[in-house]
Amino acid sequence: MSLDLSRRAFLQRASALSIAGAATPFVMNLAAIGEAAASTATDYKAIVCVFLYGGNDYANTLVPADSSNYAIYNAARPGLGYSQSSLVNTLLAPTVAPAGGQQYALAPELAPLLPIFDAGKMAVILNVGTLVQPTTKAQYVAKSVQLPPKLLSHNDQQSYWQSSSPEGAASGWGGRLGDLFQSGNGTAALTCISPNGNAVFLSGKSAVQYVVTPTGPIALNATTTLRGSTAAAAVLKNLIQTPVNHLFETELTRVSGRAINLYGQVTTALTSAPVTNTVFPAAADPSSTLGAQLKEVARLISVGSQLGAKRQVFFVSTSGFDTHDGLVSIHPVLMSNLANALRAFYDTTVELGVANQVTTFTASDFGRALTANNDGTDHGWGSMHFVLGGAVNGKAYYGTPPVLADNGPDDIGQGRLLPTTSVDQYAATLASWFGVSATDMPTVLPNIGNYTTKNLGFV
Amino acid sequence: MIESSAAPDEMVDLLDDQIASNALRSAQALGIAALAPLALEACGGDSGSAAVATSTPSPTPVAITGAEASRFLAQATTGASKADIVSLQGSTYDAWLNTQFAMARPIKFWDFLANNGYNVAANKFGQTGFDTMMWSQLIGGTDTLRQRVGFALHSMVIVGIAGTPSSWLSQGMAAYFDAIWDNAFGNFRQLLDDVAGTVVMGIFLTFINNVKGNPVTGAVPDENFARELMQLFTIGLYQLNMDGTQVLAGGKPVETYTQADVTGGARVWTGWTYANADETIPDRMRLPMINIAAKHESGTKVFLGTTIPANTDGPTSKKLALDAIFAHANVPPFVSKQLIQHLVTSNPSPAYVGRVAAVFANNGSGVRGDLKAVVRAILTDTEARSAANITSTSFGKLREPIFRLTQWARAFGVKSATNTWKFGSTLDPNNRLGESPGRSPSVFNFFRPGYTPPGSGIAAQGLLAPEFQITTEPTVIAYLNYMQDLIVGGAGDSQADYTSLLALATDSQALLNELNLVLAANQISAATIAAMKTGIDSISATTASGQLNRVQAALVLVMAAPEYLILK
Repeated sequence: MSLDLSRRAFLQRASALSIAGAATPFVMNLAAIGEAAASTATDYKAIVCVFLYGGNDYANTLVPADSSNYAIYNAARPGLGYSQSSLVNTLLAPTVAPAGGQQYALAPELAPLLPIFDAGKMAVILNVGTLVQPTTKAQYVAKSVQLPPKLLSHNDQQSYWQSSSPEGAASGWGGRLGDLFQSGNGTAALTCISPNGNAVFLSGKSAVQYVVTPTGPIALNATTTLRGSTAAAAVLKNLIQTPVNHLFETELTRVSGRAINLYGQVTTALTSAPVTNTVFPAAADPSSTLGAQLKEVARLISVGSQLGAKRQVFFVSTSGFDTHDGLVSIHPVLMSNLANALRAFYDTTVELGVANQVTTFTASDFGRALTANNDGTDHGWGSMHFVLGGAVNGKAYYGTPPVLADNGPDDIGQGRLLPTTSVDQYAATLASWFGVSATDMPTVLPNIGNYTTKNLGFV
Repeated sequence: MIESSAAPDEMVDLLDDQIASNALRSAQALGIAALAPLALEACGGDSGSAAVATSTPSPTPVAITGAEASRFLAQATTGASKADIVSLQGSTYDAWLNTQFAMARPIKFWDFLANNGYNVAANKFGQTGFDTMMWSQLIGGTDTLRQRVGFALHSMVIVGIAGTPSSWLSQGMAAYFDAIWDNAFGNFRQLLDDVAGTVVMGIFLTFINNVKGNPVTGAVPDENFARELMQLFTIGLYQLNMDGTQVLAGGKPVETYTQADVTGGARVWTGWTYANADETIPDRMRLPMINIAAKHESGTKVFLGTTIPANTDGPTSKKLALDAIFAHANVPPFVSKQLIQHLVTSNPSPAYVGRVAAVFANNGSGVRGDLKAVVRAILTDTEARSAANITSTSFGKLREPIFRLTQWARAFGVKSATNTWKFGSTLDPNNRLGESPGRSPSVFNFFRPGYTPPGSGIAAQGLLAPEFQITTEPTVIAYLNYMQDLIVGGAGDSQADYTSLLALATDSQALLNELNLVLAANQISAATIAAMKTGIDSISATTASGQLNRVQAALVLVMAAPEYLILK
């Protein structure tokens, strides 16, 4: 069955491309073949977005460690910065050091990630953020280029990171990846999965997000009988899935229908999930379920073949990063949670033998200001992010080290960074690894054509 | 109390709904004959209301039908019983609103905690009493319009308990909810003032103990409250016309403020701290924050086109800042549209927003921000009352999960003799509602007014559906599972009284009709009711337990129906 679907997908794509590529038939067909190879691929790949809601403080995540930049960092946030001596054990030693001599250290609480970096399976992306096109400080000041709307606003920048549109977006780039690949999966509805609620990231133009709990899908209690009646239970199940006239009612029935129909399939597959020995440490912050979410993602990946999945996109998230206040008490706990969850997830993929097929990356609303308010930091823009996985070209920095200077070329005020690498480039690099052709890339990332470098090379 | 055999004639009539005449009835029920022509004109704009266009108002007022009353109460309250519906049928919407507006608060959140022994040292840490306090009001309060409007205002000018680390947390939240509830029928300007003075707002948006800039270290005032006060509570990001649509300049929206306005505004919110330094008693959470002059920014504060002169003290700066924001042209449409979305429909027409915003801007007596007038304008508007909109494919809203619970509770006499209201937190999306009163995870509430479910027919039409942000495969199932538990088992001593329903149990059609009226304003179609009837009829009604099973199963089916869940 999946063969038929894949074949059909190939034909659909080939025919769509032959229209677009009428002027250059043969060259275009090369792209079509490459893409068809992806959607009919026998291999498995997954990308996992780890979203840090609230806007992560970049400077206390990837701390400037060379003496001149450390001095700027420490002066900008007296009492809130890490001491230089606390950073010696997490100083990063990339294979190629930045030409400008910049050094960085992970926050000490991120120490569990250091072995992954050192093993070449983790990369650091410098000063990445939302852009519409490459933007210089002069252009920013003159407002002479288009900027992402509603900068520094949480909800809108969360949405822009995930979708290239502000709040109210109709699709996200994870979902648009799903659009390209879902027909190659045994069950199309199991292409884009979140174990932690809705996120626009996972919705495509046709691909829908499927939400599970951190322990999998949940059963309707009255599946077989309702107050003792099988007939009433049957009415209930039918009632909640049957489309009616109203648009809102119809959407409810779509969600309920997926919940009912996928429950059995996913639950059955999960019963045969291999037992793994990697321990996900208890979260230092008990309200964080990031570890549990990633553990569930690993379980779903482990049964990907039973479910006929070839390409899957996952979205996990954790919140609390809006550290206007209490940076030194809150942020280290967030870092510890993040490191423990990412490390355990990576180790689990190694244990499952799928590390090379799973690429995990971090994302967040925005970075924060370098300059402190009294005991925290305010909203910023560019930030630092991590990519992990067996396929990652790690032990390396990608992007450009930001110049830390008041009113410098990368500073829009108080150490809020003007991004020098865009989310589009970050996303396109992941999408290329996933198998998206250059031709299809604009359907996933509409603004990618604005950038000369479309693949940052980190995976 | 009301049994089917004793039902007044009009309640039988409404079972075969006569949509064509309902618009007229609605207009007349407003009690103002002169409004009728306006009502007809407004109805003509949208969908299929030709049937009423040529009608002329009947000279004598027609009583509100049961379905109309139930629908109104579903928009205006946190839940209504059959008796509430019958009572409104014998009145008018305006008279009902007047009664609710005039009702003094039966009890304050703060007093509930104090009277029930929660303000003791053992409760200094934790959240003991918080959920109990919330449910006691939302379910138990006779001031049910205030409960509903207060909750809508809280959802906009929000504090969530999880983002508010503090001792005496339940007490702090009580003071905040009292500030909202006390002002729910007052003036929006005063509401802003009082909420901005609460300790928990200071904690939640991190400006309590915020200090002026430090030229030595370069530290600047915390911007959190200054930003969200403008973005989320009052004016939003783009300039609006009075009808809520965006002002366009050269085809592009116009921003309301810049980062400089945030930085400038942040200087106002410095120097604020507890009025009482004594941590051993909860009173410090109730008293409005005071300003410490030495920690307040003494330089000029420039934002939103306003300059607060140097050396203006904290309280004066606060007043001038809130005055400036309150005077902004966006406030009437920004607040009005969201209140409409919370009470009536996710996609109000620009004309509807414009009518309500005009009342917000001027209540007719020159007062701006009169919430009583705004609430009346929202609930009596022709768009809210239009019968034609019941059959529209996009009018209305997804019922907020917590109001499904409170509606069930209020419809069937759920109380708590011990004042414990043991529903607890309903936050868990996997086995509760994914929403719990006062437990928003962030300043963005559980759902955003601008949310649309991606990839849906709703999004394809360019429409919004805020409550769908918390609608997922787990939450739709968890809701059904949890409601089944409550319908059957209640929570602690909060148990439903199904006496009136049990009297109908042997007549499944009558039972379902009754639930359709009380819970769903007769918006569940006859075909769906017929399908439900086959399920209910499969349960024998010859024993008392069979009859109870019928009632409980019928409740589950009605509350599961998409035609119930979407309030038109």
